Amino acid sequence: MKIKFYIFSLLCFAIVAFRSADDALLIVPSNFPKPVYEFSKNPLSENKIQLGRALFYDPILSRNNMISCASCHSQFSAFTHVDHALSHGIEDKIGFRNSPAIMNLAWQKTFMRDGAVNHLDVQALSPISNPVEMDMNISQVVSRLQGSKLYPKLFYKAFGDSIVTGEHTLKAISQFMLTLVSCNSKYDSVIRKQSVFSEQENNGYKLFRKNCSSCHTEPLFTNDDFRNNGLTVDTTLKDYGRYRVTNNPSDSLLFKVPTLRNIEFSYPYMHDGRFKKLSQVLNHYTDGIEKTKTLSSELQNSIQLTSNEKIDIVAFLLTLSDKSFLFNPNYFYPKEKVSRAAKDY
Amino acid sequence: MTLQNYSDVLRHLKMKSINSIIFLLLGLIGSVFSQTGKIQLSITPTFGVNALHVTDAGFQTNDSSILQITELKFYISKIQFLKNGKVVIEEMNSFHLVDAANEKPFSVSIDNKQNIPFDELRINLGIDSATNVSGAMGGDLDPTKGMYWTWQSGFINFKLEGKCNVCQTRNKEFTFHLGGYQQPFYALQMLSFPLKNTNQINLIVDAKKILHQIDLEKINQIMSPSHEAVLLSKVVADAITVSEK
Repeated sequence: MKIKFYIFSLLCFAIVAFRSADDALLIVPSNFPKPVYEFSKNPLSENKIQLGRALFYDPILSRNNMISCASCHSQFSAFTHVDHALSHGIEDKIGFRNSPAIMNLAWQKTFMRDGAVNHLDVQALSPISNPVEMDMNISQVVSRLQGSKLYPKLFYKAFGDSIVTGEHTLKAISQFMLTLVSCNSKYDSVIRKQSVFSEQENNGYKLFRKNCSSCHTEPLFTNDDFRNNGLTVDTTLKDYGRYRVTNNPSDSLLFKVPTLRNIEFSYPYMHDGRFKKLSQVLNHYTDGIEKTKTLSSELQNSIQLTSNEKIDIVAFLLTLSDKSFLFNPNYFYPKEKVSRAAKDY
Repeated sequence: MTLQNYSDVLRHLKMKSINSIIFLLLGLIGSVFSQTGKIQLSITPTFGVNALHVTDAGFQTNDSSILQITELKFYISKIQFLKNGKVVIEEMNSFHLVDAANEKPFSVSIDNKQNIPFDELRINLGIDSATNVSGAMGGDLDPTKGMYWTWQSGFINFKLEGKCNVCQTRNKEFTFHLGGYQQPFYALQMLSFPLKNTNQINLIVDAKKILHQIDLEKINQIMSPSHEAVLLSKVVADAITVSEK
């Protein structure tokens, strides 16, 4: 009887904890909103996800066969490029910005630091074509994939057609990226009432909600919008953010609000990677805001935090680390699966 | 064929008339089908009065300032036929890439099985906003077609490249990549042409007319959504004319 009760409780919990998205292969955590990605236009399938995973890790996408998506988006660092303020691509050429962390993309409407990309399916075109990232174009990628031994087979398995197209290539990469969901941090377990914060974390959480959460909105820890967060313009880069896309002066110095999930591992911070430590980020918000015309309304009044309060906020931010995401074997380099798929077909 | 006798002559005449009737009937059936079944819309890129076909070596002009056309590609979409201002025939999934480099001239057949009368053609030059934010697509919209920006999302509606002796650019090149799907830089152009209800329609896109409307000494490189891109898209739209057969 007791066992039956436990099984029943477990089932109830499973239903409460997760609800299915439009697509059965994407589990939407119970504390997350509805995804914005239209799965009906690119329904997830295991074979498409695995094809996308193979493409994500394959340097075949770059001119010199040396750079893959994973080169600047490593799993252990929340799929970003650590240690470099500005990410470097093909032949060690230095890029214009710090690569963003990749996770929870099904909930994102725009992509890149300035929102230049309007849909996940076309996002990969940007790094593929950028002369300092992969320096290819999608036509060259398609013809390379078509000429390989492996990919026509994987495309056939995924799309029922061994003819490689730009559309299928991009949609497969999207599929893998859509599966990169981070939702099992300590914060999530506290929200699901499976765990509790320490006193310091709890104090940090309260301070975070008071000072930071209007832009870094829970549960995704971003409002998916653009803000000028008071950074002084780096004169070597002259990066005016979203203005570059819209040519609208009111967008000058606005950048995408990044998620804070896994921030412990996704350093350095800001669009140009100018801060290496979280303490530097907090010091910027209390003492470094440069007031310009487009400064975010949330930052018009200065944020006041003591040193101890900053430490508490950092303690809370560390609860956003999700080891099950950072070390999820489903996201690893797919060597075995790719070679098995090649043999099977 | 030599005719041996009177009966041979008669047989021959009979055969000839049967053949004539068959040919007449086939012709009639053919003409009925061409009148009722399909509307044929073709698009002819020209440079003045000459057909413009861009080869690997480019298209050499006979113009004093515009020396060469090296690329002319553009999207047309949302083909509609109207009667008294109301849409009566509409092509589904209507996106076509016209490329002056193609050996075969562009032509598309639109079903009109019920022989619905019409008096106007409406067509978009470019790709609409909704399609621009719908992610990766196939067919003529596949990004491998070279008509999609990569540094920033969005289709290039119209590409015209070449050389002009007044351009103070590298190799005297001019490059026009016109597009933009968001206001105030929405570059799509809606074209409208009155028709006489014929089933063979040809749109003429005259590159000479377009280029002679532009001060190429000052404006020779537009490659991103902008006010200039919108203005130039209007110039392109004005250079498109219709002829009916």
